[in-house]
Amino acid sequence: MSSEPDTPDAETEYQHDDDGGPDPEKHCGHGRGGMGEEVTRKEDKRFITGRGNYVDDIKKPGMLHCEIVRSPHAHARIEEIDGSRAEAMDGVVAVLTAEDLLEHDLATMPTLMDDTQDVLVNEKVKFQSQEVAAVIATDRYAAKDGAQKVEVDYDVLDPVVDAEEALEEDAPLVRDELEDQEDNHIFDWDTGDKEATETVFDEAAVTVEEDMLYQRLHPAPIETCGAVADWDPGMDKMTVHMTSQAPHAHRTLFSQVSGIPEHKVRIVSPDVGGGFGNKVPIYPGYVVAAAASYVLEEPVKWIEERSENIQTTGFARDYDMTGELAATEDGVIEGVKVDVLANHGAYNAAAQPSKFPAGFFNIFTGSYDIEAAYGSLTAAFTNTAPGGVAYRCSFRVTEAVYLIERMVKVLADELEMDPAEIRRRNFIPSDAFPYESATGWNYDSGDYEKALDKALEMADYDHYREEQQRRIEEDADKLIGIGISSFTEVVGAGPGKQCDIAGIEMFDSADLRVNPTGNAVLRVGVQTQGQGHETTFAQIVAEELGMDVDSITVEHGDTDTEPYGLGTYGSRSTPVAGAAAAVAARKVRDKAKSIAANELEAAEEDIEWERESGEFHVAGAPDRSITITEIAAGAYMNHPGDEEPGLEAVNYYDPPEMTYPFGSYIVIVEIDRETGEVDFEKFVAVDDCGNRINPMIIEGQIHGGLAQGIGTAMLEKVTYDDNGNVTGGDFMNYLLPTANEIPNFDTGHTVTPSPHHPIGAKGVGESPTVGSPPAIVNAVVDAMSHAGVTHVEMPMTPDVVWETLDEVGLAHQPAHNVEFDLGDDAEPADD
Amino acid sequence: MTDEREITLTVNGTEHTIEVEPRRLLVHAIREDLDMTGTHIGCDTGNCGACTVLKDGEPIKSCLMFAAQADGAEILTVEGMEDLPEADDIHPLQEGFREEHGLQCGYCTPGMLMAGKALLDEHPDPDEETIRDAISGNLCRCTGYQNIVRSIEYAAEELENRAAADGGAVAADGATDGGPAASPEGGHAAPEFGGDADTFCGREDCCGGPDGADPFDRDALLDDAGDADDTADADAGTDANDRGDTK
Repeated sequence: MSSEPDTPDAETEYQHDDDGGPDPEKHCGHGRGGMGEEVTRKEDKRFITGRGNYVDDIKKPGMLHCEIVRSPHAHARIEEIDGSRAEAMDGVVAVLTAEDLLEHDLATMPTLMDDTQDVLVNEKVKFQSQEVAAVIATDRYAAKDGAQKVEVDYDVLDPVVDAEEALEEDAPLVRDELEDQEDNHIFDWDTGDKEATETVFDEAAVTVEEDMLYQRLHPAPIETCGAVADWDPGMDKMTVHMTSQAPHAHRTLFSQVSGIPEHKVRIVSPDVGGGFGNKVPIYPGYVVAAAASYVLEEPVKWIEERSENIQTTGFARDYDMTGELAATEDGVIEGVKVDVLANHGAYNAAAQPSKFPAGFFNIFTGSYDIEAAYGSLTAAFTNTAPGGVAYRCSFRVTEAVYLIERMVKVLADELEMDPAEIRRRNFIPSDAFPYESATGWNYDSGDYEKALDKALEMADYDHYREEQQRRIEEDADKLIGIGISSFTEVVGAGPGKQCDIAGIEMFDSADLRVNPTGNAVLRVGVQTQGQGHETTFAQIVAEELGMDVDSITVEHGDTDTEPYGLGTYGSRSTPVAGAAAAVAARKVRDKAKSIAANELEAAEEDIEWERESGEFHVAGAPDRSITITEIAAGAYMNHPGDEEPGLEAVNYYDPPEMTYPFGSYIVIVEIDRETGEVDFEKFVAVDDCGNRINPMIIEGQIHGGLAQGIGTAMLEKVTYDDNGNVTGGDFMNYLLPTANEIPNFDTGHTVTPSPHHPIGAKGVGESPTVGSPPAIVNAVVDAMSHAGVTHVEMPMTPDVVWETLDEVGLAHQPAHNVEFDLGDDAEPADD
Repeated sequence: MTDEREITLTVNGTEHTIEVEPRRLLVHAIREDLDMTGTHIGCDTGNCGACTVLKDGEPIKSCLMFAAQADGAEILTVEGMEDLPEADDIHPLQEGFREEHGLQCGYCTPGMLMAGKALLDEHPDPDEETIRDAISGNLCRCTGYQNIVRSIEYAAEELENRAAADGGAVAADGATDGGPAASPEGGHAAPEFGGDADTFCGREDCCGGPDGADPFDRDALLDDAGDADDTADADAGTDANDRGDTK
């Protein structure tokens, strides 16, 4: 890609004010909606007026509805399925089972980690709510009625839901259909230098160790998964509108699964109501809808209910970790070790680049210059839903960041050092970039101390440290805790040679066409689910061509018209497709120069483009200038004879490296010693994502990710009982934070451009989800660390916090006896 | 499966007579029978609020009500907001969500708008806690709520400015709760975004468009709000609420 025109001068070209923020003077000077401007979103109008078009909004003539019959058991052999009573019902068109799918060779589908998952259970159910049969009917009520009448005989088996128990010798075997699979062990993985790390630990003055569980979460976008599949026997073409974060990759996989040639498969991802990683994998429901449409030759809609979404589609995390640090007595970290037991559920269906079975977990050295590192991991099958996906996370970075940021706090407490100071002492210095970590990652750029300093100032850190001490001394009813997280992310996969999804290299693409009347359409291979691509990518083009942002339309999500791309997840849209958009625009700009030369009757080498005015002019004669609008007309109506007509460029961008956004978050909590309730007193987030395209959208993403981080730390967990029943499988039990649980956030930023990205930008959407949970847990621990608390497991619900307070003698009894006046109202109602 | 019955729903001012099974949910009647797909479904258990609509002025979760229970009711959905008397091109709440970046994927937005509308009908000048309470039955996974709160504050201020521009005529008519001159909350907290150069820069008066035109020019909005027609419409809107109260 380095042969592209106008190699980046990212350092200087886009900086706005000292902090890189939107400098009113400068960006208002441009005023075209380019880089750094807080342009309101182009996509908003349809959403605020009810004109969005989500999958469930699609209605086609003759459309049938699909309802999936699911297993009530977590582990059971299917003896018999009888769909005859269902088929006899009004409105029911068909009942599909694995047997029917076998006829069309659609009974199984590949997972993203090359495992094979039943589309409908063939012999044995492996997790609760697994897909057993499908009822196709004329409307959704009839389909549900039919599903209730499908009779399934199960031979119930003992399940195993815990990864540790799954690896015990006499554990029930989850995957007995696999040859050579005699236990529930999937794989072992390790990284770093074991021997060197052991040596460092043996010789270290201080070592600390802590166990921590990153609990099973679900991304839970407010729109569940769904599809409308429409087989057209006249065209031999399958069109599937589906909730997809990666429509092109899904088309390739669909083609491979179904045998329908890829050019006869069209995937359309319309408006997507949030994804967060949940809509990266292929799910059985999509395949069933497509199979049903193929067999019945009618459009078939499948829409998941919330409980189906949480109970069966890609969960995230479920990493049981032990971290260790080795350090000097003055807090210099010399070594880090981590051991993980990963629960992958019933199929190895993690959504991550195929060469990375533990994702990018080996970034667990974090923001610190650590000499020796070693990580090991074992993955196990259990009778739980398959996963895990990267929930707003670049492939297990979240788990890695949690590990290292928690361990730094554990070490700080052991050494009785200030957790800000210990970070400062260990940061990779800003002049050490590009930096190669002990586990082999090449960090592109960073200035960690600057971000931390800014956050400390914004949080009024010293004041709260004093206040914390005062409350301890006065034995106050509310304790103060201060948590810090100075995280580094790795986002923007490829490079293609290292990162692939099912063999396809993780490049991305942009196709930019300037029309004769001077406006433009940019088509991209990534797929927005709320990130605001229609605005930010238009801003990149506006910046690079001197066009107005309103005259650029961004299209995405339709494999028939968009260039091939790998989709949106892992904060890769700006690092990869954003780069492609910039390079495509620069290609157009290069061609525009020859047209400008023709129009202005000057030599092409004398034509200059000026970023400020967005115009092309003859060197030394600024009044002989021409705009891109005029050039566009020339390209179609008066094109130079030695050039192709038209004004269009395509770029497929394979990133040379990933980008490394970072930040420092400081959370100040107040803990009620009577109830264990945790209140957020202050929540400061300083992020650095390099050059900023639209600060308003970035800030919005930070807010949302922080709220998800609070959900993670305080509320959310997918739980199972010993029988494999999901006990946290709907919104009554899987608690998303509401407006009442989320505080206002103080956001700030620094700007350290990526040196290898064409516009110096880095991904950002996932930083807050990755960076905030350890800051929150560190804050809660910090409130109790003077009494010896070193860890509290997530989610830190009031009962968990109160029990911890009680264990170390910090709990206060209520100042007055609370008596509940049960009175007459407490009597069971008769009616 | 079961006998259908005829019901009448007045949705966004238009009367519809449809045949529904007694078990048919109101949200399905709205989305599938009347083809108004702006109202969404997110959870099936009444937790997420994506399906919130106003029934006779009250916010309800349309996935928790049978269509037959709404027989004879006046329903407001997101599609009707542009036609409300307080809307110019779009409703101030819709404007607020765009200006304050109160949405990302847009899926929860119609429900949030409805919850916001119900709140402002009752409390024209809510403080932050009141707003957070009012939308606490609506889940958003994208925004972290902060900008949604700001969006509703924006709308409250916008509506208040218009009422003020009416010279208190609206308040005198008793068309709003106490009107801008005598807020039930006791005075007007300065909206958080007011007068903050950082917030405005690039959004409204700064980079509004190619020719410098500001699509959300406050003065222009105030002028529009001064139209006599709008005042009359505001009265009509309140009547709808009164009907809700007396039901």
